[in-house]
Amino acid sequence: MKVLIVDDEPPARERLRRLLDEIDGYEVVAEASNGEEALAACSELKPDVVLLDVRMPGLSGLQVARHIDCLEEPPAVIFTTAYDQYAVEAFETEAVGYLLKPVRKEKLTHALRHAARIPPTRLQKIAASARMENRREQICARVGDQLRLIPVSDIYYFAADQKYVTVKHKGGENLIDESLKALSEEFAPDFIRIHRNALVAEKYISAVERTDTGQYVVRMRECGSVLEVSRRHAPELLRRIRGG
Amino acid sequence: MSNTGASQPDAGPAFFLPDFCGSRAVLAVVLIVELVALVFAIARQALHDNFWTDLATTSLFLLWVGLTCTAVLCRARTWLHSLSTSRAVTVMLVLLVTTIGLVSEVAYQIGQLWGIDAASGSQVSIFPRDHAGFLLRNIAVGFIVSALALRYFYVNAQRQRSIEMEALARIHALQARIRPHFLFNSMNTIASLTRSNPERAEQAVEDLADLFRASLNDATVRISLEDEIEIARTHQRIEQLRLGDRLQVQWDIADLPLNARVPSLIIQPLLENAVYHGIEMLPQGGCISIRGARHGDTLEIEVRNPVPAQTGYGEREGNRMALENIRQRLELAWPGRARVETEQKDGEFCARLIFPYADSPLLEGSSLDS
Repeated sequence: MKVLIVDDEPPARERLRRLLDEIDGYEVVAEASNGEEALAACSELKPDVVLLDVRMPGLSGLQVARHIDCLEEPPAVIFTTAYDQYAVEAFETEAVGYLLKPVRKEKLTHALRHAARIPPTRLQKIAASARMENRREQICARVGDQLRLIPVSDIYYFAADQKYVTVKHKGGENLIDESLKALSEEFAPDFIRIHRNALVAEKYISAVERTDTGQYVVRMRECGSVLEVSRRHAPELLRRIRGG
Repeated sequence: MSNTGASQPDAGPAFFLPDFCGSRAVLAVVLIVELVALVFAIARQALHDNFWTDLATTSLFLLWVGLTCTAVLCRARTWLHSLSTSRAVTVMLVLLVTTIGLVSEVAYQIGQLWGIDAASGSQVSIFPRDHAGFLLRNIAVGFIVSALALRYFYVNAQRQRSIEMEALARIHALQARIRPHFLFNSMNTIASLTRSNPERAEQAVEDLADLFRASLNDATVRISLEDEIEIARTHQRIEQLRLGDRLQVQWDIADLPLNARVPSLIIQPLLENAVYHGIEMLPQGGCISIRGARHGDTLEIEVRNPVPAQTGYGEREGNRMALENIRQRLELAWPGRARVETEQKDGEFCARLIFPYADSPLLEGSSLDS
């Protein structure tokens, strides 16, 4: 089994590596010192298990775990933490694998045997009860084998197709595997639902216009897209735009 | 209970009387005596022709009584301290009543000796005439007033004590603790170093022990600024093992008088916060700058650290709590004369402690006189 160690502290990584060396059947394929490195290593090396520190600079462990789920075959995740009362309670409730630092060898062995992939819904619940920032600052999209992190502040809008959601952002367009409903809940009030199939960033709206047929459309800044506003969502949109 | 013992070393555990050898207590006695004399004079105004003469003679007599009683209590102080409260009260009442009886007797005898008016052959009216009546009245009044005064001193001492206990409890509740996050991370670092670098692991254990000892210190005792800085440096050494090059600390404290006395653990929590909310949250780490300055009798210590862009660092619960804790402990140490300032701008957080330069090891709040 291939293991990826993610921790921002060198001694912590070193110790986990040494413990894993002593356990048969596991091989450390890489160490990462932050979330971005971890995601790159994940898509490149395809580990089976990720030992993921909860508290890290930049992307937190929970956020990394959420992004990991974008992968085609997401690895199993085991969180590690030195002390975080709320997170540990949440891990317990959601029955998610975690280890307390300093990690005991027996516990590590046990956790590795029972390691499982964590679905994003559970991660969301953990983030909520651990009082951590639930709202992501990036959205991840899979581009071939690679993961691409799109800063939420660069996103113009999300548009739903039959099956996928397209993200239109400063760097172009990407497909993501998330529902518009969940996105609109996570990113309200900065994003407004204007149609069953469209969620737009309020800050990139340049104008709301009325066509000859009485239909409202939204004109987006920078990207120049023009999006249809449904009859049902028009009143809310107009209220928001006028209200300030 | 033993805490009050520390701030008032010569007093027994539950002793409530003020020090009657001291000028404050004597003044209190004189005031009580004069008030009683006034009460007598007002009550007897109808019987006497001259209110002021009556007040003067009563005052004179009662001052004798009061000051003699004070002297007796002053002499008996050490002995009284060795008794339990209830026995001490009984003994004091007996002592006081006996003293009052004796002073009354002396006053009566003086009246008998010198009080005869040469011209009329009769006694001057200011001296008492009926021997037994005079003695009994004085003893009765003396008993009641003594009992009331003792009760007053007792209640006052209780109130004083509860105020002190409350202040002490607050100081102890505020005693800075080592955060669990730091403890477990350090333990993890040590676990890792034990094999890879036993010498460093050993040093880390020693440092951690020193930090713990400092956090268990008596919270009421001030330590020297030199020791406080050493505690912060110890903390820094441990964090350095964990964070490596990500953590840099710049000390600029040459201006600080190292003999100044401060409540312990006022700088270390600032450093801990700077690491926890600042350096640890930055992938590249950063530099914490600790600056000390002296402006006359005021000392200023400033801890500045970079913070990640998005977070409302100063508002974070943990950070606010630690700062509030330090603020309250400085306030208890120097009521109204110390403050904690914070500011965040340009991606930097700065906490500043401003407090008077003092070189006495005891907290002012815990000394008895207030």
